[in-house]
Amino acid sequence: MHNELKGVHFMDIQLKKEDSSRWIIPKTGAMRVPGLIFSNERLIKDIRNDQSLVQVANVATLPGIVGHSLAMPDMHWGYGFPIGGVAAFHPEDGIVSPGGVGYDINCGCRLMTTMIRADEIAEDMDLLVSALFRDIPSGIGSRGAIRLSNKAQDKVACMGAAWAVQEGYGERDDLERTEDRGTMEGADPTVVSERARRRGSDQLGTLGSGNHFIEIQVVDKIHDSKKAAAFGLSKGQLTILVHSGSRGFGHQICDDFLKKMGSKNLCGSYRLPDRQLACAPISSDPARQYMAAMACAANYAWANRQVLMHWIRKTILATLAIAPRELGMKLLYDVCHNIAKREQHTWEGELMTLYVHRKGATRALPPHHPLLPEVFRDTGQPVLIPGDMGTFSYILAGAKGSMEQSFGSTCHGAGRVLSRSKAVKMAKNRSIFSELKNRGIIVQSRGKKTLKEEMPDAYKDVSQVVEVVHQAGLATKVARLRPIGVIKG
Amino acid sequence: MPNFSIIDHTADLGLKVWGETLEKLFENAAASMIQLVVKVSAALPSETVEVKVFGNDPEDLLVRWLGEILYLFEGEKKIAVNSRVTSISRQHLDATLQMIPYDPDLHELLSEIKAVTYHLIRVSQKEDRLWEAQVILDL
Repeated sequence: MHNELKGVHFMDIQLKKEDSSRWIIPKTGAMRVPGLIFSNERLIKDIRNDQSLVQVANVATLPGIVGHSLAMPDMHWGYGFPIGGVAAFHPEDGIVSPGGVGYDINCGCRLMTTMIRADEIAEDMDLLVSALFRDIPSGIGSRGAIRLSNKAQDKVACMGAAWAVQEGYGERDDLERTEDRGTMEGADPTVVSERARRRGSDQLGTLGSGNHFIEIQVVDKIHDSKKAAAFGLSKGQLTILVHSGSRGFGHQICDDFLKKMGSKNLCGSYRLPDRQLACAPISSDPARQYMAAMACAANYAWANRQVLMHWIRKTILATLAIAPRELGMKLLYDVCHNIAKREQHTWEGELMTLYVHRKGATRALPPHHPLLPEVFRDTGQPVLIPGDMGTFSYILAGAKGSMEQSFGSTCHGAGRVLSRSKAVKMAKNRSIFSELKNRGIIVQSRGKKTLKEEMPDAYKDVSQVVEVVHQAGLATKVARLRPIGVIKG
Repeated sequence: MPNFSIIDHTADLGLKVWGETLEKLFENAAASMIQLVVKVSAALPSETVEVKVFGNDPEDLLVRWLGEILYLFEGEKKIAVNSRVTSISRQHLDATLQMIPYDPDLHELLSEIKAVTYHLIRVSQKEDRLWEAQVILDL
């Protein structure tokens, strides 16, 4: 047998249904805590077919994990942690794991609202998609128009989106509307390798490839009119969603620290069930250095999305030949979905600092959480959930249940259901471009295979994913967005 | 028989590679990864680079070896069109890489590999003495 992976175990994972949106993996063997999966009958069927349940159980064996090893309804097979995995660790005996964040540190979404009605510019859509495709560097190995000197790169790494705003890419108010105000504390560029610097030196302001995209959308349905109004959303309005991360800079930082932590046993008698779960005790030097380097990459990603937004605004203004006031483009929110953070949570009746890893999961702070800016105090934090390029995306608001059940986390997207090669096989002799065009979606893509790899059939039904977190009380539906133009890497 | 095949993984890409010797296995792994990343038309290598790679065991060595070649491409914009492993042990290898500079007008990019992962990494020798490796690449 040449075409199968060795060492995969599909069996011996017990899954118990708790209720219509929760499944438990009971604590067995080396697991320190049970697994808890937010899902429904339909989505759980796909999960049973891949390795992600084993990965939830593996994460449950990590030292100092508290509560449950969690997984969101969009979960799928990753490497080490499942995609859609959340785990929190105790500061005294817990660990930090670069694999619990992933290679694309602070991969995330940014949503901009406008004052334009989508039907007013229907005729300009071809032009607009072409202009964005031309102006925004995207695709494999995309290089930006910004070349960072070592000194400038240090500033990006320390300041994040605040650096971009200082350099004229956007406005101060944008920072209020970015998770952590676009700057993660504790960044230290001296722990970042020369290799990471090299890879990051010319990639700021680039979209990347694969599942990264810019989407032009129309607000298609309002689920919660009060919160939608507070978010500045109304039916028929044009919105723009960006999905990108920390590019080669973040990939290299993750890679460097996985090797550093994997090369010697830093966790005493603990035996890794998967080498990709390499980790270090929170108080150790490697863990401290990783958190400082990861913060640099998180900041790079926030600066990246801030720059991308600025260029998108410029291109739209030039293409539609309108004034900034007419476009009225405003950042609704920027939120990341690959990160490890020191956060305050109530654990066993006590308020304490925990190290929360989110790998393909979004922070979802409920109303009145102390970290929320004034503007979102009564609504809860906006949560951005992109679907595949043929269906909907959703805007949710963080809800109380997230603090009670998932360390303030919810899902991050549709989640893949087909591998890239299966998707390409399935799309053979089909024109994804024409299929989408028939559905009123104009697409341009840099990579030849990207459209097939990323076709709608390759993803889970995002509406089902969102329904689960809504029912489970992690985040509530506010509005649904329908794509009309897509720029893929 | 081809010396590598692609294996399905939901998010990423798995690679299975074979070689008659451990040296060949590592050379084939490098060639197959480059084949996934970039399409190189006939070109004369313009530079030779000597690399030394250290690892804890053959699996770690393979991840670091492929990581080295990936970095040369991503960081230095150089494509390793050919590699020769001149000496190898369980924890160390020396190799000579023949490189060409990446030119976006000449070379078509095929996939962006973020990193070489340790997930399900394997290096083993089968009963027929053929070496086999499996590695998952993060796309």
